Amino acid sequence: MVGDKNTYYYKALKSILKKDPKIVLLIENLSKQIGVKISIVGQDSKLLLGCENKYSHGFDLSKNEVVYGVLHADKEQGKLLADYVVTLVNKELEKKRIANEVLGLYREINMIYHFSEKISEIIDEKSIAEMALHEASQIMDSTHGLFLIYDSNLEKVVELSSHGLSPNSSNNIDTQNQILKELIKKGTSLIVSQERINNNPTLSHLKAVMYAPLKVKQKTLGMIILGHDKEKEFTAAELKLLTTIALQSAVAIENAHLYQKGLKEAKEKEEAIKIIHKVSQKFVPNEFIKSLGKSKLTEVALGDLVEKDVTVMFIDIRGFTSLSEGLNPKDSFLFINSFNKKMGPIIRKNDGFIMQYLGDGFMALFPNGSQSALRASVEMLNELKKFNKERSSKNRLPIKIGIGMQNGNLIMGITGDIERLDAAIISDTVNTASRIEGLSKHFGASILLTGSCKDNLTHPEEFNFRYLGPVKVKGKQKPIALYECINGDDSNLFKHKLDTLITFDKGMKLYFKKEFAMAAVTFQQIVKMNRSDHTAKLLLNRSAHLITQEIGDDWKGVESITTK
Amino acid sequence: MGKKLLIVDDESHIRMLIEQTLEDLEDEGVELLFAENGKQALELIKKEEPNLVFLDVMMPIMNGMEVCQKVKKELNLSCVYIILLTAKGQELDRQKGLEMGADRYMTKPFDPDEMLSIAEEILSI
Repeated sequence: MVGDKNTYYYKALKSILKKDPKIVLLIENLSKQIGVKISIVGQDSKLLLGCENKYSHGFDLSKNEVVYGVLHADKEQGKLLADYVVTLVNKELEKKRIANEVLGLYREINMIYHFSEKISEIIDEKSIAEMALHEASQIMDSTHGLFLIYDSNLEKVVELSSHGLSPNSSNNIDTQNQILKELIKKGTSLIVSQERINNNPTLSHLKAVMYAPLKVKQKTLGMIILGHDKEKEFTAAELKLLTTIALQSAVAIENAHLYQKGLKEAKEKEEAIKIIHKVSQKFVPNEFIKSLGKSKLTEVALGDLVEKDVTVMFIDIRGFTSLSEGLNPKDSFLFINSFNKKMGPIIRKNDGFIMQYLGDGFMALFPNGSQSALRASVEMLNELKKFNKERSSKNRLPIKIGIGMQNGNLIMGITGDIERLDAAIISDTVNTASRIEGLSKHFGASILLTGSCKDNLTHPEEFNFRYLGPVKVKGKQKPIALYECINGDDSNLFKHKLDTLITFDKGMKLYFKKEFAMAAVTFQQIVKMNRSDHTAKLLLNRSAHLITQEIGDDWKGVESITTK
Repeated sequence: MGKKLLIVDDESHIRMLIEQTLEDLEDEGVELLFAENGKQALELIKKEEPNLVFLDVMMPIMNGMEVCQKVKKELNLSCVYIILLTAKGQELDRQKGLEMGADRYMTKPFDPDEMLSIAEEILSI
């Protein structure tokens, strides 16, 4: 209630005399009827009704012995009118009291409305607790508040927030933990009796206490305790309000917990996806995924495809079958791994990527074209020399590899079905490259490439080539020009091939001119100089063989090779 | 000239509740006026030009929307600050009210503290 009681009563008096013309008229009529002249003066001597004339009789207008005005009358009967005015004022006061109560309810409704609106947006329990206590203290006359929650990890009741000074608060929470735990378990709300407050030393600083449970669904998460250090009685309405705040807080805390849990799970899943992504990158080359215009493997879908111009390279370990004969499967595997481990980085260094491992070799793609593919080939052969040195120091046989490459158009895509997806490339280029690699064994060359591959080189002067003529590989109608790149050969062999480049070329020309005897002699010269020149040896044999054969006019020197 | 505040609601108890909420303003010299329907309200607004009107939307004989529109759009009394009182959750009312030129809206049941502080703010008390 605002102000002192007499001002409050006086206001009611003013209110009925100043605002309600009907009442004034009624009083005036009544005074005429009974023939009494009156005036009403407020406690501040201000004239509220009638004229300034001083009448002989004065009647106090009062409530509970508090005088808020005087009714002056010229006759004793003025008392009747005074009583009437007092009754009217009392009615007015009653009306105001009820109105105030309703306004109080309005306040509560709005507070709860705003509270639940605000609290539903908070996602950490400490802030929820703080807000709940703040709102509770705003609307309910209290000096102390305590927001407790049962921590299932610590297996005890802990404070989330408090207001008002409580001596030894945290200590008390610990010593009273068992009682608090039971109260929370019970899940009831209560205005604590005076007797119980007096008997509990931890509540000695309080005169009034009530509490409400933080109940959500079937569980109770904790409780809110509200106290006052002055004599007062918490009302049933206040307890109800506290219970409402507690219920809202409990729901908010439950939501906060769910949110945190969801957040944690989402983070864990994110982490797992990151790892999967990292691992899968190694299984499916990232370049492949990037080529499809995607950034993550998870974005790739069945049917995604892209068309590209690339150089396809096949590498094969020669004679792996016989090599692995003496090894158990595990050792074979370890051997392959040690080989791949050395070659992979060279491919990547030259902007290529390994599309597929093929047991005793692999297929690599070079989106930048054959210059990088050829550089990688030479580097790999150099690496192999070191690898073989290591092997020979361990009394192991050196290994040989064959490299074949072709460039052209290919389609990269995702194939399979909903359950099983894989990266795939479909292209004639791939088949040809594989066949060329097969030819390297036939020709006894380390690196073989096609004419279109050679044409694709941006710096052909970095390398030295021997033209091996047109060949027709299995399954192809069109002959393909075949070149040998000699730069990866052992230094002796390389020097030999380099020295005999012109001679070799001469031999080939004689061969195409069908001058097989002369060709044979030329190749013979080369072979004599180095018996390891298997390509020259092959051409020597081929020329020698053709000397005795009948050759048609349509012979163009195309070698058909039917082996894989 | 003293400041005037008009309270418009067809329900007398609401008028009383608003009066009670704002009674402290009387000590500051603000005159409280009352109307129980839109027609009465419009006449009072024309005559008294109050600084602030708390205007209920749902009323017989000219509702709050019409009053608002007449005051703001026809009479061009922009100096009369109108706060519409709508039931909670009636989003449409709120939207329409603001279109009709209302300066603000409050939901019923109103928050007494909020109502008083808004009134004080607008009347610069």
